[in-house]
Amino acid sequence: MTTPATTSFQLNGKTLTVTTPPGTPLLWVIRDIAMLTGTKYGCGVGQCGACTVHLRGRAVRSCMTPVSAVAGAEVLTIEGLSADGQHPLQKAWVQTQAPQCGYCQSGQIMQAASLIRRFPHPTDDDIDSVMNGNLCRCMAYVRIRQAIKLAASEVQGAESHA
Amino acid sequence: MHEISNAGIATTRRSFLITITAAGISMTLTLPHSAQAAGSSITSGSVLATGLVSAFEPTIWYDIDGEGILSVNVIRAEMGQHVGTALARIVADELEMNWASVRLRYVDTDPKWGTMVTGGSWSVWQSFPYLSQAAAAGRLALIEEGAKLLRVAKSACIARNGAVSGAGKSVSYADIIRRGQLTRRYSVDELKAMPIKEAADRRLIGMPSEALDIPAKTTGAARYGLDAQVPDMVYARPKLPPTRNGCTVKSIDDSAARGIPGYLKSLVLEDPSGTVPGWVVVCADSFMAASSAAERVKVVWASSTAASVSEADIQARGLKLISDPAGGSLVVEDAGVDAAFSVAKSTIEHDYSTATVLHFQLEPLNALAFEKDGRWEIHTGNQWQSLILPTLAKALGVAEDQVVMRTYLIGGGFGRRLNGDYTVPAALASKALGRPVKLVWTRADDVLFDSPRSPSVQRVRMAFDATGQVTGMQHHASAGWPTQVMVPSFMPKGKNGEPYDPFAIAGADHWYSVGAQRVRAVSNDLANSTFRPGWLRSVGPGWTNWALESFMDEAALVAGLDPLAFRLRLLGGSAKNSAGGAKQQAQVLQRAADKAGWGSKMPADTGLGLATTFGQERDMPTWCACVARVRVNRSSGVVKVERLTIVADAGTIVHPDGALAQMEGASLWGLSMALHEGTDYVNGQVRDTNLNTYTPLRMRDVPPMDIEFVASTAPPTGLGEPATTVVGPAIGNAIFAAVGIRLRHLPMRPTDVLAALKAH
Amino acid sequence: MRKPILIAVVALFLAGCVGLSWRSAIAPQAPPLASLFTSEQVALGAQMAAAGNCAGCHTAEGGAAFGGGLGLDTGFGIAYSPNISPDPQTGIGNWSEAAFARAMRDGVARDGSQLLPVFPYTHFTKLTDVDLAALYAFVMTRPPVVAIEQTNTIRFPFNVRALQAGWKLLYFEQGVYQNVATKSAAWNRGAYLAEGIAHCAACHTPRNRFGAENSHSAYAGAGFDGWLAPPLDASNPAPLPWTQQDLYDYLRMGESERHGVAAGAMAGIVHGGLAKLSDADIEALGTYFGDINDSAAREGGAPAALALANSRRSIDAGNETEPGANLYLSACAACHYGPMVKPPAVRSSLALSSAITSDDPSNFIQTVLQGVGGADTPGPYMPGFANALSDADVALVASYLRRTRSDRPAWPDLTAAVAARRR
Repeated sequence: MTTPATTSFQLNGKTLTVTTPPGTPLLWVIRDIAMLTGTKYGCGVGQCGACTVHLRGRAVRSCMTPVSAVAGAEVLTIEGLSADGQHPLQKAWVQTQAPQCGYCQSGQIMQAASLIRRFPHPTDDDIDSVMNGNLCRCMAYVRIRQAIKLAASEVQGAESHA
Repeated sequence: MHEISNAGIATTRRSFLITITAAGISMTLTLPHSAQAAGSSITSGSVLATGLVSAFEPTIWYDIDGEGILSVNVIRAEMGQHVGTALARIVADELEMNWASVRLRYVDTDPKWGTMVTGGSWSVWQSFPYLSQAAAAGRLALIEEGAKLLRVAKSACIARNGAVSGAGKSVSYADIIRRGQLTRRYSVDELKAMPIKEAADRRLIGMPSEALDIPAKTTGAARYGLDAQVPDMVYARPKLPPTRNGCTVKSIDDSAARGIPGYLKSLVLEDPSGTVPGWVVVCADSFMAASSAAERVKVVWASSTAASVSEADIQARGLKLISDPAGGSLVVEDAGVDAAFSVAKSTIEHDYSTATVLHFQLEPLNALAFEKDGRWEIHTGNQWQSLILPTLAKALGVAEDQVVMRTYLIGGGFGRRLNGDYTVPAALASKALGRPVKLVWTRADDVLFDSPRSPSVQRVRMAFDATGQVTGMQHHASAGWPTQVMVPSFMPKGKNGEPYDPFAIAGADHWYSVGAQRVRAVSNDLANSTFRPGWLRSVGPGWTNWALESFMDEAALVAGLDPLAFRLRLLGGSAKNSAGGAKQQAQVLQRAADKAGWGSKMPADTGLGLATTFGQERDMPTWCACVARVRVNRSSGVVKVERLTIVADAGTIVHPDGALAQMEGASLWGLSMALHEGTDYVNGQVRDTNLNTYTPLRMRDVPPMDIEFVASTAPPTGLGEPATTVVGPAIGNAIFAAVGIRLRHLPMRPTDVLAALKAH
Repeated sequence: MRKPILIAVVALFLAGCVGLSWRSAIAPQAPPLASLFTSEQVALGAQMAAAGNCAGCHTAEGGAAFGGGLGLDTGFGIAYSPNISPDPQTGIGNWSEAAFARAMRDGVARDGSQLLPVFPYTHFTKLTDVDLAALYAFVMTRPPVVAIEQTNTIRFPFNVRALQAGWKLLYFEQGVYQNVATKSAAWNRGAYLAEGIAHCAACHTPRNRFGAENSHSAYAGAGFDGWLAPPLDASNPAPLPWTQQDLYDYLRMGESERHGVAAGAMAGIVHGGLAKLSDADIEALGTYFGDINDSAAREGGAPAALALANSRRSIDAGNETEPGANLYLSACAACHYGPMVKPPAVRSSLALSSAITSDDPSNFIQTVLQGVGGADTPGPYMPGFANALSDADVALVASYLRRTRSDRPAWPDLTAAVAARRR
């Protein structure tokens, strides 16, 4: 089962074709082959969220997603979330000065992007439940909560004016 | 030294910055993307100037180029505390610079920087005087030269917003540097005598500002050690011996790994520095291949006696040590302690303990090492470069000046990266292989190679006279001593001439006036031999203050006083505990109590508890007090923290939002270690290696927090740690107030609560 | 005194079997030319083959389609599926349509030997002539695959082909599907597909000790390959009844708002097989199963059941001490936390999942270990946690969710159950 296999998928809108041993996690393909290092390795068992990316628009932990599972699919990383770092969540993250060491924040932001799509008006319960899988070892949790609410309200405001 | 700018600018561009200084010409080269060291330099807005630029560099700490851009050389590790921003604010304020013209340059190691260490909550406290004075010198030189250009008397000129003005005329710093004859350099002595601005004249310090390192941390552009890459790099994963110390490799069989595509070889490390005994490093052309291969390589070790040691053995050893009055170092030893206890009307004594705590910094350990042009480069995030460089040199068999550490952002320090042991196997593997080696720990590897916070055991005693006054106090503490294991030269001697680890006892030497006082620190030899004890956020006070502040509540109960009143009485001051310091501690305590509604009636099973600290060390007091409000679920044993009220006096707050973030993080670390995390040694290793069983605080358990700084213009002290040490005892005291049970071991798990309720 | 009589009866029975089992070979013929079949026939055959998941069994892992070689654990040993591609030497290229029809309808190979009932001819016998001819047309127009059949490991006496005749005598009813006059056309179409080509009962009906579907408990659910093929009758343990609409959503898209998503083998059947059927056929299947499971009678209780399930979705119902709660909250809740009003199909509220309410923990365990979806599957994706969670971890999450998301009694011996299902 170690014979390398070829997989093609869309990474931030561009086709990426890789030949890897089956079972190679998407995370390492993104980091070490596509050289997009914004997605981080934290626990390797899907319980810290630092590796969170979007697969077909939904947050998944890339550390335990074999690259074979994303064949033909669209994968989005923090680098693809916005062209200019000005996604409402990114702006809110700066505005609330949420990051400390910053290592978990790509994953936090990608999980939050999934969250506000599903819960446009997230309650504390929504935020705590969905974000609880994203560990912040600096414990910047207070600001992450604030930032999510800020971004959600900005998205709502923008939509109501549109 | 590397320079890049942030926000995705120029991340793949080669650029040269040639800096002309009074001392001559130095050349700075930004390496291509693959070898770039981190966000080594971060701008506050625009692109770094490139090309030939003359610059003003009156000291090593900063320069201002011909565009008027101030680059501050940051020798501290950026690991979440936004230290670069705080230090740059100090320099820019004193220089009267526009904040938009400020850049950070996180420098690589060089002897000229002196000791490079980031820990102890020291950075701002230590740097403030010399950075202020260096910047004041630059300001004076710019005024002097600007006055000449303006043809105005320098006494009639002022510096403001990056320009010198006088008599209605103005010239920018950029113009002064381009047109002027700025050759002024300052000697160390001149700088030491340099007066700095009055606090009232500060324009950046204490004002709101955004941290310069944050934008890149929201786009994925920020570069950490794990992101380091160079061409022809080999990936490696360690194959860890069964215990941290004392193992040797007996045999190795990699036959099962040879079928893995990309597998190169397994190296048994020969380590002249003795840092990584019994290590095998498995190399491959990708991390996954190295990781899979490591799981298939079979190694037989001759293991050490540590392989049979468990947490209970370590704690039993500690208890035996503190029960023996003979050993250890007397850190405080007033005359008449024994007499005070022998004549006391009453005495109380309680034992407290804390479990092993993991750093679990989210970025697992990693280091990239290679030799280039006769010099070794170590690419990694590190908190104490000056400590590990000599070890690296010894391990590699080269002179210390042949090793340079390239600086990267740190994905969580918390003290783990003060101990640079993880750089050594990367360097050794690269030397053995003759290629650049990037050694990456898996999460479990990282935990098993952690230098955790040692378990501790403490005994605290107090003597009362017939009037109920406190006449004596003893505090005996035993734990593994990181400083003894890693840098024994740092250990001061106690009153009995025995050296001690200040980072394993500080906090017990408190500012309460308790009569004759004895503080005794005892190194737990079994802990030291079983694992490598580490410095972990808040170090010794993390456990000494747990014992002290829990005990103070217990003593107040005996004294028949409210815990607040009892503490305030003991903070009344004495010769040793200068009234000023103790008074400041009393003030934060009173303020926190007032804010939290101390003394108000609580609902059922709900209680308020308080605790206070003077911070990390008596020489750098950060006065801090916390009131925790908890509700105890009697059927599940769950302690829900409903609110934390924290007041701190840390002198001048340089970067208020960053300071607040540090307080938030520190207090939640305290909460996490109080209720959520902790592990045990089992057969020479920690029981928990990943998040399935090691359970740090997560978002849903974060309580509302009310954090306040006392307004002050006193010199800034440290605040990355002090809040950590008050939360645990405040919670313990609140649990007592809520349901009447006294817990004396950290962490306080629901099972402990249930057991205590049952026994109550 | 009865033993000799019993022995005599068995001996007679066996002799009868041997007699009955004798069937003549049908002469081999040259593979039919593709031009013999109409494109409509081949297209219909393709639908039928997809609905029957023929490739699912007759393709080895990583092997060429219809080349056979997949090992199936029958409970009596491993049976390897034969090569049904039109290769004349190693496949069925020299089978006439009559030989093909006899195999499908009577369970007898071209050479006259009895086929094992792991091949569900007991269902295929219900196919109409038209569908059978279409299937033949489809199979015979596939690329031939050269693949030698592997030897089964079926143990004695079940490996004695002659005995199959006796088995048939007891358990096999030959004949094309007959419409039930009292039911609608859609119902009958659904029943025809379900009982015939789709052979749903092959997995969803428990088998007796001779491997025959137990007709007294049709669709009562059965273990399959370490999973549970859940009951499709009224005993289905899902909190909400499977209505025709639910069944349609699930069989069409692989996900139902009120239940969850298709996982395990069923995911392949939905996305790889049923996807080729028309909407009308999927609706018909929904009509049939939505009737036999009595959903109409139970739907009245659905609002209350939904409200109860929603009340169970809460992140901490005061039971945070349980280690399983911590695991759930760190590893699962980010996706499985659902909104109050309308549960999403994908990442559904687990309180609506029969994987939790079933007294057999297989599907919960398997879903956690193996995940859902993956390469080129249009449906939802969940990573497998086999390498991330220990047996004890999975057991803790299972026990936590069983306790907090259902009112069913605790699953026993969970850690061992997880270990047994790891591959």
